[in-house]
Amino acid sequence: MKGRGAIIAWRLVILVALLGSWEWLTGIKEVSRTPGLYWIDPFFVSRPSEILRRFVFLAGGEVRLTIWQMALSTIQSTLWGFVVGVSSGFAAGLLLGRNDRLARILEPYIIAFNSLPRIALVPLITMIFGFGLLAKIVLAWTIVFFIVFFNTFQGARSVDADLINAARFLGASERQIVRTVVVPSALAWTFASLTPSISFALIGVVVGEFLGGESGGGLGYLIIQSLGTLNAADMMVALLSLGVIGIVMALGIKQVEMRLLRWRPEYRERA
Amino acid sequence: MIGGLVAPTAGAVEIDGRAVAGVPPNAGYVFQKDTVLPWRTVARNIALGLEYRGVTGAAQERRVREGVRLAGLEGFEDAYPATLSGGMRQRVALMRTLVVEPEILLMDEPFGALDTHTKIGLHAELLTLWEAKHQTVVFVTHDLSEAITLADRIVVMTRRPGRVKLIYDVALPRPRDVIKLRESEEYAREYGQIWHVLGEEFAGAGA
Repeated sequence: MKGRGAIIAWRLVILVALLGSWEWLTGIKEVSRTPGLYWIDPFFVSRPSEILRRFVFLAGGEVRLTIWQMALSTIQSTLWGFVVGVSSGFAAGLLLGRNDRLARILEPYIIAFNSLPRIALVPLITMIFGFGLLAKIVLAWTIVFFIVFFNTFQGARSVDADLINAARFLGASERQIVRTVVVPSALAWTFASLTPSISFALIGVVVGEFLGGESGGGLGYLIIQSLGTLNAADMMVALLSLGVIGIVMALGIKQVEMRLLRWRPEYRERA
Repeated sequence: MIGGLVAPTAGAVEIDGRAVAGVPPNAGYVFQKDTVLPWRTVARNIALGLEYRGVTGAAQERRVREGVRLAGLEGFEDAYPATLSGGMRQRVALMRTLVVEPEILLMDEPFGALDTHTKIGLHAELLTLWEAKHQTVVFVTHDLSEAITLADRIVVMTRRPGRVKLIYDVALPRPRDVIKLRESEEYAREYGQIWHVLGEEFAGAGA
């Protein structure tokens, strides 16, 4: 397609312009004022060439913890938190969505727990689960669970009653109704929550890694370590890596979503 | 009420001498609204009732194929409902109900949302299918022509609170041809008689 090519070209232009001006502005000295200072100080924001140099260094075998190991650790924690959060959130949403009484009983507790800023739980979670993988999964879970839960809950409640009656007339048992009508119907809602969920899982994991120290050794650790050594280049390497990881994961979810919801006209057109 | 979805305020509903409690196992229901499951293909929708009743494998496949053929949807087996027209979706809904061979077929304005053209086509299909099995059909409609075309007996209801106004036996021979029927004098006579009764009901609306 012609329009698509143009869009990609524009994206590349913006990328080059951004990187170019970053490299250029951090390179020119600001002579008029204090000598030795730059227009934009690379001490704080580093420079693309320096970031690339550090990336190659961190990717090589000479460091104790390569960027690959750190990225892998972060991805692993994120995916675990995501999977545990989504499955438990989905199950709970389905259960409470189909059980009005239970939903009403638990409502204040759910709201109370959900309005608690999850970051505030980090020290407690660390105290209980230590600095390792488990603590990060738990942290990601506490966020993801609620996102998926609320969406699935809504989805399970808004199942068309006529579809359920129709299934009943065709001889469906309650379990069959849940499997063939309620779950597929709620899934459309659940999927809407998956893309934000993976982002929030990543947030939870990185915050966990800030505190986790070297034992976890993810990209969040690299960020904190760079803060300790005032190394903006390493920090940028970590941030850019996190960005790439986030995009790839979101795209992966989109693929699964398009496949499972292919019955919806809006997905068919895009596929 | 016959379907067990709503309990009667007074009196009782019995099918073959047994009171209705919950959805009767031998009844099929075709809704006014489109109740085809959008996430299942045509074939999988028609298979739904068989699946619920534990009919699997080759037996299921054979009956689904038969259903698809009777619905005139060959070539659309793997299509999702979103890509079908309203008439096609309603044929899926009808066939999905018929493949489990209910003894009683409840139809609540099933063709209400369709255009006249599609509707008459479905009347013909319904009559053909009925000739083969002679199920009991309870068909709710606001369309008098539809009622006369299909029914042996018409029950006219009053406006709210919906009491029985008239029970009328349609004296038209079967099998009926949906097109020719409407041109016949007998049809015009039956239409006129019931229309007169309906007229009284309409006239009362302003009072």
